Amino acid sequence: MAGASMNDIKSRIKSVQGTMQITKAMELVATSKLRQAKLRAERTLPYMRQLLSLMNSITSASELRDSVWCQSSDAGKTLFIVIAGDRGLAGGYNSNITKLLRSIAPEGSSVFLPVGKKARDFIARHGYECPLGAIDYVADAGVGDCMTLATGICEAYTRGDITRVVLLYTDFVSMMVQTPKVSELLPLGKNADEKDAPSPIFEGDPSLMMDKILPLYLGGALHSAIASAYASECASRRTAMNSANKNAEEMIGELTLKFNRARQAVITQEITEIVSGAEAL
Amino acid sequence: MTPFKLTVMTPDGIAYEGEAVSIIATTDEGEVQILARHADYLAALGTGRVKLELPDGTVRTAASSGGFLTVQNGEVTLSAVTFEYKEDIDLERALRAEERAKKELSSAKDARDERLARARLNRAVSRIRIAREK
Repeated sequence: MAGASMNDIKSRIKSVQGTMQITKAMELVATSKLRQAKLRAERTLPYMRQLLSLMNSITSASELRDSVWCQSSDAGKTLFIVIAGDRGLAGGYNSNITKLLRSIAPEGSSVFLPVGKKARDFIARHGYECPLGAIDYVADAGVGDCMTLATGICEAYTRGDITRVVLLYTDFVSMMVQTPKVSELLPLGKNADEKDAPSPIFEGDPSLMMDKILPLYLGGALHSAIASAYASECASRRTAMNSANKNAEEMIGELTLKFNRARQAVITQEITEIVSGAEAL
Repeated sequence: MTPFKLTVMTPDGIAYEGEAVSIIATTDEGEVQILARHADYLAALGTGRVKLELPDGTVRTAASSGGFLTVQNGEVTLSAVTFEYKEDIDLERALRAEERAKKELSSAKDARDERLARARLNRAVSRIRIAREK
């Protein structure tokens, strides 16, 4: 009886150790990927800042506040761009995004653009529409992919197929904090700076400038959000694996204690048997 | 010549930050040259050559596509979608891209496909031309 339970405990310890090896390796991988992902996310910021200030100078210089890009309408559909991860085992990373999506996306009047395998799977499982395509893998989404999608979005917006574009991603605040975020990309003007800047010399027609800059702005925003989301994914995987390691260590400690007690019980029992056997002689 | 502050950036990061005495870029309307003390300016960039002249006399050539060239308070910013210095261009890859784009162009189903393929072809051709320049 006692021997059998000793073997049970031994095999449990072994299996927990095996799991811990995996989580430890995953933590190391996530840590090294996180370093690169964080740099990539930081590199996208100057471009975004530049494009935002450009858009402000164009909207304030020419009377484009009444253009199609700034008009809000309740009639058409809303496009939700959903950025999630490629793989699981990253704590609440993927479910936080899908939970947020379910809480804000009205059924029926929404279309979707999933980025990342988990986002695509979620959208497919619910049978939602994604007429503008998707990016399958977050890790190797390049500037070109983002720009092509952004052009498609702008075309659909000018056709009136969609009247609102909302971006859902996980903002990389710091190594420890990542928050799911909703950001309205179109129509413009909700967070645009309305002060009048002196107007620059335009090469070409200023009203055409907006049509040129918008795909770049959307593509840049998408690219930057993807980079930030990927860094968040790595960070939350690292945190999740770190706590898995701690739990495994704790479990191994408890099991070792149990094992030693069981072993001690077996020895005590044997001695008692020998002593009582000797007394009987 | 008088130097001015120049920043070249793409969504992937900053490609050049520092002083320059001249920048020539290809806009939608043709090539433009910006020197120091230019008035505030904004132009959409096409696909083509960018030439930077640095204060020490070195000239750097690059292939760029898309984006904007702006001058604000004497500071010049080129925010391109792609920007590669001549020596960084992967000629093999550009040649492959040219082949692929030509095939896509001949099998394009609608106007949108055709436009995308044509843009891709333009970018590849411009990279090849700049990489082969003396």
